[in-house]
Amino acid sequence: MAESQIRIQLSTRYPDISLRENPGPIVVNTSLRRYALSTLVNTLLESEKPVPFEFLINGTFLRTSLDEYLTANGISSETTLAVEYVRAIIPPLYLASFEHDDWVCSVDVLSETSPAASGTGNAAFKPGQERIISGCYDGVLRVWNMSSEIIAIASTSREGGPISALKSVKFLSPTQIATCGMDRVIRMWDYTEDAENLTASLTPRLELYGHRNVIASVAVHQPSSRILSASWDHTVGIWSSKASDAPPAPGELLPSHRGSKRHKSEPSINPQRGPLAILRSHTAAVTDTIFTPNDHTVAYSVSQDHTLKTWDIPTSTCVDTRSTTAVLNATVSMPALNLVAVGGTARNVTLIDPRDSATSVSAMTLRGHKGWVWSLASDPDSAYGLVSGSADGTCRVWDVRSSTTDKSGKVGTSVYSIERESAKGETLRREGGDGVQVFGVCWDQKVGIVSASEDKRVQINRGQGIFGGNPV
Amino acid sequence: MATESTSKKRKAVTRDSSESEEVVLSNGGGDLGSALIDGFQVHYGDEIDGDSSDLLEDESDVEDEHGYGEELDSDEVPSDGEHNVQDLVKEDEVSRDTSPEEELNEEESAANYQITKDANGNLRYVYSEIDPVYDSDDSDAPATTNTIGNIPLSFYDSYPHIGYDINGKKIARPAKGEALDALLDSIEIPKGWTGLTDPATGKPLELSQQELEVLKRIQMNEVPDDGYDPYPDMVEYFTSKTETMPLSAVPEPKRRFVPSKHEAKRVMKIVRAIREGRILPYKPPPEEEEDDLDIKRYDIWANEAPRPDHPMNIPAPKLPPPGYEESYHPPPEYLPDKDEKKAWEEADEEDKDKDFLPTNHDALRKVPGYTRFIKEKFERCLDLYLAPRVRRSKLNIDPESLLPKLPSPEDLRPFPTMCATKFLGHAGRVRSLAIDPTGNWLASGGDDGTVRVWELGSGHQVWSVRLEKTEAVNVVRWRPGTDAIILSAAAGEDVYLMSPQIANLTPEVAAKSREVADAGWGYAANDVKSKTRKEAVTQWVRPGSRLEGEGVLVRFGLRKTVKVISWHRRGEYFATVSPQGQTSAVAIHTLSKHLTQLPFRKLKGPAQSVQFHPSKPIFFVATQRMIRSYDLSKQELLKIIQPGARWISSFDVHPGGDNLVVSSYDKRLLWHDLELSVRPYKTLRYHKKAIRAVKFHQGGLPLFADASDDGSLQIFHGKVVEDMMENASIVPLKVLRGHQIKKELGVLDLDWHPREPWCVSAGADGTCRLWT
Repeated sequence: MAESQIRIQLSTRYPDISLRENPGPIVVNTSLRRYALSTLVNTLLESEKPVPFEFLINGTFLRTSLDEYLTANGISSETTLAVEYVRAIIPPLYLASFEHDDWVCSVDVLSETSPAASGTGNAAFKPGQERIISGCYDGVLRVWNMSSEIIAIASTSREGGPISALKSVKFLSPTQIATCGMDRVIRMWDYTEDAENLTASLTPRLELYGHRNVIASVAVHQPSSRILSASWDHTVGIWSSKASDAPPAPGELLPSHRGSKRHKSEPSINPQRGPLAILRSHTAAVTDTIFTPNDHTVAYSVSQDHTLKTWDIPTSTCVDTRSTTAVLNATVSMPALNLVAVGGTARNVTLIDPRDSATSVSAMTLRGHKGWVWSLASDPDSAYGLVSGSADGTCRVWDVRSSTTDKSGKVGTSVYSIERESAKGETLRREGGDGVQVFGVCWDQKVGIVSASEDKRVQINRGQGIFGGNPV
Repeated sequence: MATESTSKKRKAVTRDSSESEEVVLSNGGGDLGSALIDGFQVHYGDEIDGDSSDLLEDESDVEDEHGYGEELDSDEVPSDGEHNVQDLVKEDEVSRDTSPEEELNEEESAANYQITKDANGNLRYVYSEIDPVYDSDDSDAPATTNTIGNIPLSFYDSYPHIGYDINGKKIARPAKGEALDALLDSIEIPKGWTGLTDPATGKPLELSQQELEVLKRIQMNEVPDDGYDPYPDMVEYFTSKTETMPLSAVPEPKRRFVPSKHEAKRVMKIVRAIREGRILPYKPPPEEEEDDLDIKRYDIWANEAPRPDHPMNIPAPKLPPPGYEESYHPPPEYLPDKDEKKAWEEADEEDKDKDFLPTNHDALRKVPGYTRFIKEKFERCLDLYLAPRVRRSKLNIDPESLLPKLPSPEDLRPFPTMCATKFLGHAGRVRSLAIDPTGNWLASGGDDGTVRVWELGSGHQVWSVRLEKTEAVNVVRWRPGTDAIILSAAAGEDVYLMSPQIANLTPEVAAKSREVADAGWGYAANDVKSKTRKEAVTQWVRPGSRLEGEGVLVRFGLRKTVKVISWHRRGEYFATVSPQGQTSAVAIHTLSKHLTQLPFRKLKGPAQSVQFHPSKPIFFVATQRMIRSYDLSKQELLKIIQPGARWISSFDVHPGGDNLVVSSYDKRLLWHDLELSVRPYKTLRYHKKAIRAVKFHQGGLPLFADASDDGSLQIFHGKVVEDMMENASIVPLKVLRGHQIKKELGVLDLDWHPREPWCVSAGADGTCRLWT
């Protein structure tokens, strides 16, 4: 059988893996698949260690042989095919699960590449001592090391008092943790590890009062020691993590000790502070808020009133409002593309261009989830990657470069879908992610994709070869 | 003179008569024998003597015509011709004279003549007629022949006779049978009877046996002649039998069974001639004559330029090339099936989308003639003749399109389509549930006697209290308003007000809630009057320290199991229904006074549900079959609504206040427009089992939903237009399935999210579900 050949023009957007001199169109056999092309590029790059590459042709990843791709898309083999190669996102493999006592709401990761550690330099963080913190519906904050051992534990609820779930936990710095939850309080914790890094202590440092309902999410910016909070009382709060900066707490929101006999004996020893500003513009519960990665004076918040709002923090004003069609639950910023990804009850992830110049609300829609999207995290390696955790019990990894256009605009599909390990053994198909809803997700370069779920576990998935052996 | 003349006359007559007889014979019947003549003469001679008086009488007659007689006398021996003429004249005279006295003929034998008197008084001899008896032996002549000629017999209708025979005798009309005779004739029909009258004789026409047989043969399509054999046996001129001893023993010659070379030669000669064209096997068709140049022809489409569609412009008929359908052997997918064929045949000629039906023939030779050929040509001629200049534009209206169109459910988004969250935790059925006014929390109560509060999105239980150990919690409802958080629940006969520990219960809100719930303590304590009157229906009390620690604020008991709680929109009043309670079925409670009233001393039938009007002081009470609306301010009955259901299970008032939707245990959902009628505006039967609950969306979306025992919820679009002229549009949108049926019970209650198009349902399977 005569094998046909095709000319391809290789290109990449990354300078570190670009070919030194442009080889021009290369004639290759059409029976080649991704692996063969990846080997070819590695040979051309003369790299010592082969790097797996993915190949994007006309906005879709090559998943078949070139021949089948050409047939499927009706492309003549006499044309020159423009092929973009990118570093492959390695299929995230299951690594470990950390078991909890109740549904896990939120996770955060401390590693040398995480935002909390990178801000302070490596002085405060010892490499190799990655930590994962998890906030749970039982109101307990747990700090884990990578060997699935609990290093420190702290409960936010008072003894005997009502249990209030932790909705969001964040590392402010390697030694500071911010938590919030259904008790309407943002708590700052001091986190100190002992010399062997085997045990650690969590001491409450500061309690921030000011919200009148569940605080769904906090965002931290360590250099300016600012904290943003999204609350179901329709407001976004701006706080300082330093007790000295913050105004006193509003008295009417402090728990009254006089009325309750039970708590009379233990007055709170922690300093209580109030908000720097409360931003009121949303008309329904605010569910998530973030700082813009490049500019800590700009914040985004999403709400159940279907809107994404842009805030100017110094002036505490709402700059821009983008309205979508459904309740929004999570947001993450993609600074390289000037996009903000939001997810919610529409069961998809929408990419929104929040700039004034943008004409359409939705720049792109990522479809595939069968349940509400509860949380979003961006790819630390790539400006185009995203991961979303959904109520259907999956985390989906997206690459916004891979897209098609249909009548509703640009549409993307997920690259990988991460199932819950706890649900895998079951023969019975769960109905709509029953019991395995993913509430929180975090993507760290070192640790991988960490997700918190209704199945009372934190699950870690990591692309093989990323850890320790990542090129560049 | 008279005698002399008579004798003369007599001689003359005698001689004349004998001679004239001869002449007549020689002229008219020349083929008679002389013997016959002799015989006649003898007979004649006998008569002459007796007839002398007659002759005399005749003489006197002749005397009148004097000149004539003279002439006769002078011509004693006339020539043959003259004599003949004279004779004829005489005979004429005789016949003329005798005709009036016909009746005397019978007396011939007695006297040959009669003596009468003529007009002048003279004697007159009237001789009787002489019967020549010509026809005595003439068998060929018809017995009587009417000599009147070819005239209708009806001319003689006024006479007693019907004509004259050859002798000038009157043919008497045959006696008509009397009625009895006719009857007898009709009874005994003789053979050959025709019922006709022979026009010639006036007698009934009867056919002879011979004639009948001829007719029969003609009828049988046979040759009328008797005994004629159209197919006679073959006459064997040459024998087909091989003779045992033939005349010649010579064997058959070869040429008898070998094709003739001579004939072949001749045929070949013709063939060659045909091939060379010397012989033409057929007549060449005549050359087409060139068209007559006188007839002018116009091609109106010769230089046609494309023009926009206009009635006055008829574009050239450009027929599309024939497709597979037109083939005599089309592919099977083009063949119409039975229904299509029938539809095509039944369709009007005008309505047929194509004027032929694709038909399959195995071979081209099996294709029949084109049946429509003539018709088509005819229509073409009609077209040309009538010269239509305007195309008939057919008004093609599909009757379906005239019906008001229900909008597609796709256009009516958003509405709940799938289960987003399940709320697991209740042991036993979940009887009731409600979403709090902020839309973040879900309260539910069930058979396990607990009231639970859940985080709506995630489905995590945040609060729970066990009200009763044995009784089920039948209903939970939030107090409207966000200033205070108060949840009301009914377990058994007791109603509880509680303030669940949820995240928006800040110290501030908690204090406010407590204040709202506790406001009535002082009032109840001070109101000595009601206490003394013993009319207090119930006593509002603290629920006990255990429940107080859980957040329950107030408890009071009613006489029977409370099934329904309905809050007034301002959160000041709420009504409860205990269907078993006769007079205390419906109770209205005032929160700020801790006061319970029983407004209806008597209700017709067991109360099922109650609702406050969303904006007016109107109170709806549903009994088993009717819904009554009462004006609370005037304390009077406003309207009785008759849904026609056998057993109302629940109803809800549209937020606008003018519409009502009623669910019933007999599987029906009834939409009432209160402005329109007390009867339902629309009846919806979509469920297979009893409908338990129905709710309108209260947050501005035109949605309502019902919950049924068949384990499904149905979402409807129910848009109420402000315009009075337009009726509400109701579109079924979605069936939500997922709840399992336990002991014949499916979904027991449902509620809508205050803002979003989400609804929650309480199932008998112990789960609640959020549908988004």
